[in-house]
Amino acid sequence: MQIQGSYTFEYDQQAVWNILMNPDAIAKAIPGVKEMVPLEGETYAWRAIAKIGVASVSGTYSGIIRMTEIEAPDRYRLTAEGEGQQSVINGTALITMQPAQEAGKTVVVWDAEASLAGKLASIAQRLIKSAAGLLSRQFFGGLAKQLKAAEKEAKTVPAATSSHSMAGES
Amino acid sequence: MSTRIFGSGIKRREDPRLITGGAKYTDDMALPGMLHMAMLRSPYAHAHIKHIDTATAQGMEGVVAVYTATDLSLGAVPCAWLVPNSDLKTPAHPPLAADKVRYVGDAVAIVIAEDRYLAQDAADTIHVEYEVLGAVVNPEEATQEGAPQLFDDVPNNIAFRWIASSGDEGVEKAFAEADVVVKDRIVQQRLLPTAMEPRAALAQWNSGTGEMTIWCTSQNPHIHRFILSGMLGLAEHKVRVIAPEVGGGFGSKIPVYADEALAAWASMKLNRPVKWAETRSENYLVTIHGRDHIEHVEMAATSDGTITAIRGTVYAGMGAYLSTAGPGIPTILHGLMYCGPYTIPHARCESIGVFTTTTPTDAYRGAGRPEAVFLMERLIDQVARKLNMDPVELRRKNLIPPFEDGYTIPLGLTYDSGNYEVALDKALAMIGYADFRKEQAEARKQGRYLGIGVTTYCEICGLGPSQVAGATGFQGGLWESTIIRVTPTGKVHAMIGASPHGQGEETTFAQLISDEIGIPVEDIEILHGDTGNTPMGWGTYGSRTTPVAGAALVLATRKIKEKARAMAAHLLEAAVEDIDYEDGKFFVKGSPDKFKTIQEATLMATLAWNMPEGMDPGMEASQFYDPPNFVYPFGTHIAIVEIEADTGIVHLKRYVAVDDCGPQINPVIVAGQIHGGIVQGVGQALFEGVVYDEHGQLLTGSMMDYAVPRAEAFPEFELDHTVTPSPHHPVGLKGVGETGTIASTPTVYNAVIDALQPFGIKTMEMPLTAARVWEAMQRRNGSANGSTNGVHEGS
Repeated sequence: MQIQGSYTFEYDQQAVWNILMNPDAIAKAIPGVKEMVPLEGETYAWRAIAKIGVASVSGTYSGIIRMTEIEAPDRYRLTAEGEGQQSVINGTALITMQPAQEAGKTVVVWDAEASLAGKLASIAQRLIKSAAGLLSRQFFGGLAKQLKAAEKEAKTVPAATSSHSMAGES
Repeated sequence: MSTRIFGSGIKRREDPRLITGGAKYTDDMALPGMLHMAMLRSPYAHAHIKHIDTATAQGMEGVVAVYTATDLSLGAVPCAWLVPNSDLKTPAHPPLAADKVRYVGDAVAIVIAEDRYLAQDAADTIHVEYEVLGAVVNPEEATQEGAPQLFDDVPNNIAFRWIASSGDEGVEKAFAEADVVVKDRIVQQRLLPTAMEPRAALAQWNSGTGEMTIWCTSQNPHIHRFILSGMLGLAEHKVRVIAPEVGGGFGSKIPVYADEALAAWASMKLNRPVKWAETRSENYLVTIHGRDHIEHVEMAATSDGTITAIRGTVYAGMGAYLSTAGPGIPTILHGLMYCGPYTIPHARCESIGVFTTTTPTDAYRGAGRPEAVFLMERLIDQVARKLNMDPVELRRKNLIPPFEDGYTIPLGLTYDSGNYEVALDKALAMIGYADFRKEQAEARKQGRYLGIGVTTYCEICGLGPSQVAGATGFQGGLWESTIIRVTPTGKVHAMIGASPHGQGEETTFAQLISDEIGIPVEDIEILHGDTGNTPMGWGTYGSRTTPVAGAALVLATRKIKEKARAMAAHLLEAAVEDIDYEDGKFFVKGSPDKFKTIQEATLMATLAWNMPEGMDPGMEASQFYDPPNFVYPFGTHIAIVEIEADTGIVHLKRYVAVDDCGPQINPVIVAGQIHGGIVQGVGQALFEGVVYDEHGQLLTGSMMDYAVPRAEAFPEFELDHTVTPSPHHPVGLKGVGETGTIASTPTVYNAVIDALQPFGIKTMEMPLTAARVWEAMQRRNGSANGSTNGVHEGS
């Protein structure tokens, strides 16, 4: 299953890159993540536990998240292998960043391939694309929120600017 | 004389408990100390098992045991229909996968815990390392070079190759000389049986007596005992199988599955009762599926509409393992019926059973005959279209003339009795066929699309003569037996080996007995389902219970009657030959006022104070019955549909069914069987279909994804019948459990194709969903560039 999407951040590419490489920020932003612990002996790999509900299948999944093919500050590949609920989830996404036409903004594009096996496939497959879209929006939206919060902490920001800092997915 | 109980539409005696919640199913049972079993099932269609880590599950509080294949001492799950002359391969089907999984749902480990939900949660913690292999779900593709191989010793995944032929030379010649030949590629899509109650098992090992009791959802508890005792290594007399209330089966509760055996084995191992109950999604994943044919079929005819030959090659998906009766379905129960009710002189069926990385298939209501009738009726309509003949007249021209005692078809079967044209004419009159054609022509002018489909069918059921069972490789007999016991006060216990699970024999069999000896239905109990208190029988499937067990019952009741007659004669101090019987009373000919009732005769025989010379006490009879032939019910079904031009939705406007199952014991129950059958058959035509993705993942794993037909889709059915007794049954009965399913799929399908004639559509893949029909109409209109999604245009 192919899933594509993009998200526009109201921050420059370096800021977006930094947060997309920050495991703590990612752990906070991934919907339902309960735990994300670095894997010993690997720099960009974590063991994660997440609670996710898709259609009528809701429950806890555990797995490994890895970043590879890192080319700062433009792209990396995010892969996830998880299992739980009598199901196996495998996903890999190439995440690419580039400046938006509008100055100071950054477009993040992802091109993902996911496969489901087991119960999730048999019950939730037809809903997984829309669920993936929703989860992606939640993920990047969550990162944007964190950027905004960090910005607030760093300096005083006029309220008007922050009100539209969360751009939508295109 | 009072109204005869035979033929009376009394209400089903089973229903009050079923509709008020009083019925007790396997999952309603609870025993002290009972544990629960959950299965860890493969998420992959095909993979090597590299490693299984059960440590977390083992350590969970409340988990009693976790077992994998290496822990088991349990026999393989056997296949019990070893079709001969087919080079049948029967690779072992281990109860838990050891080194390889072969379909999504293949069990890898079991968890036994104090609580059902805990067992499932613990199973979820088991980590299995798999090496994923290629999947193949299409049975034709699975035979091609390069397809993933399920078993090392089964080349090209071919489980068997079976041929039925009236003579290949004759078939070839008929096709060579035919004026018209029509060909079709038919996909008999996979179906889910969807019994209302999923499967369940509760096993109790008694270490003191060495006895195993298994309550389970079974259509044939004696077969389950027979096979489970072998798998468990227990002597058969130490195993008792009880099918309590069983909420439907439609074939899916015939097979012996690993699950029941695993629960029983765990109960022995742990010396505690163990229960396992399927969820609905588990039911869809691992309980057998039905159909799954890809067929290449063709029919030859002369220009005057005489059908001269039919032949086909069937790729029958067996799934990952051979289920209990799997190989017999697309062969014996399918290919031998290629001639239908027609005088077709030449026929040939080649059926290739194929392993695919999918759930095993087995008998699903109709089992092989719906597929045979479907291809026949599809081809006949296409021949009619090609010859510009009315499809009804083409059928009429080829129907076998009436026969009362045997008609042998070129494929070797001898049909018992038939009078096909009478049923056809009755159905045509009911629907108003000639008028409909005018209405249809008128409607088309207005842009409304009406269609009519007519099926004239006959089918083989009442399985069957045991000698034939043996000759066709069925690893059992097909007789039935009964014990009828009359209590001192004249109440009846009739114990049968067959195992009704929704068909209503508690009512109809009481009617049969009552009709013979005058004891009222309320005083008769039909006991079934428990190997501990019923005599041996081979179960309820193949519309066999009434034709076979019913025959045993009638003959046993007649023994009771003759003993009661002799007892009455003794009490009346008359010769037996002088005793007449009417309405439960025995009297000396000409003196009906001085009588002994069956109850009086029974009481005196039971007290045994004054018995006739040489007569044993008591009032009891037993009877075995091995039928001399199958029975062949038949009939005509007609459907009228209207297709919404804007949406492609098929509306079923009218449905007429004229069926002949011989004399009807209870017309209300017959109607119920036909109603349910029609709905399931129409389900295949319009709504249902299992979908696997290319990785072998089942995408129709819940009732949200799999369209079981609903009442709103159906009109009131218009039923009638004709009565052609079976010459070999004691009261002429034929089976009627599957006729509706067998006839209705092609009837509705042909009606849809008929409606779509202005669009030139010859054939489409089922189910004929609104999307598929709409797309076909758009393509023909030239206004859309839809995919070829199962649609083949005509020319």
